Amino acid sequence: MKVKFLTFLTLAAVMLMIGCGKSDADLAKAVNDKLAADKVVGVTAAVTGGVATLTGEVADITVKTKAEAAAKTVEGIKSVTNNVTTKPIPVATPAAPDPALTGKITENLKKAGCTGANVTVVNGVVTVLGEVSAAKYQECVQVIMQAGITGLKNELKKGS
Amino acid sequence: MSQEKYQTLLELANQNGTTYELTEGDNGTLVVTGTAPSAEAKQALWDEYNRIDPDFKSGDLILNLSTGADAAGGGVHTYTVESGDNLSKIGKQYGVEWKAIWDHNRDILKDPDKIYPGQELKIPM
Repeated sequence: MKVKFLTFLTLAAVMLMIGCGKSDADLAKAVNDKLAADKVVGVTAAVTGGVATLTGEVADITVKTKAEAAAKTVEGIKSVTNNVTTKPIPVATPAAPDPALTGKITENLKKAGCTGANVTVVNGVVTVLGEVSAAKYQECVQVIMQAGITGLKNELKKGS
Repeated sequence: MSQEKYQTLLELANQNGTTYELTEGDNGTLVVTGTAPSAEAKQALWDEYNRIDPDFKSGDLILNLSTGADAAGGGVHTYTVESGDNLSKIGKQYGVEWKAIWDHNRDILKDPDKIYPGQELKIPM
């Protein structure tokens, strides 16, 4: 009688596992495969009770988000805990010393027809004053940002 | 923090084939330096920037994008010689050696000491 009962229990346990679908180990493999397929590098998934936990360090936030989205698409994953961190980004250095930067930006603005904009550079931080037409505004900001600067105080006015 | 703020912009860059590098500028400014595959792709990113930060006033993002076409030009800048200029003086303005300017303009210059107002010099950047 006792043996029969144990057999029944074992059978019941097996049935239960089949009924629940994939094990956590299977799910972890599925998530990691999905990450690899989506070319997410540097993220590892662990699964406990159907909850995926993502860890690792990635280049930027878009990879972190992509990893989470990828994990969520795996069938059987109930939720995703995203513990992925982003690498500290290196510190930018200005493209040129201040007077050179001022000269370069002024010259580029002149060429782009942004004559109403005035720039000064102090410690690599560019301050732009003046006014340009609304039509030119974005182009003028682009010209300044494309000079290889590391900061901008934008006080440029958008005229009509 | 800026990475979160400009996340959609970075995602758009990934989608439209723009390659970029992130660096940190002054006071946590996010500096995105990259190359867009076309002028349209670059414009799409600027539109997204304008949507997140109208008129680019916050000063927490420097978007420095070139297009494939600009990059092919090797980042060369044109400078028009003004009266009183010499190669060293022009070089100092751009933070490049006079010799680099000379090397880039041998086709139009015969002598590094003789440049004339109105000449257009290629400045390697």
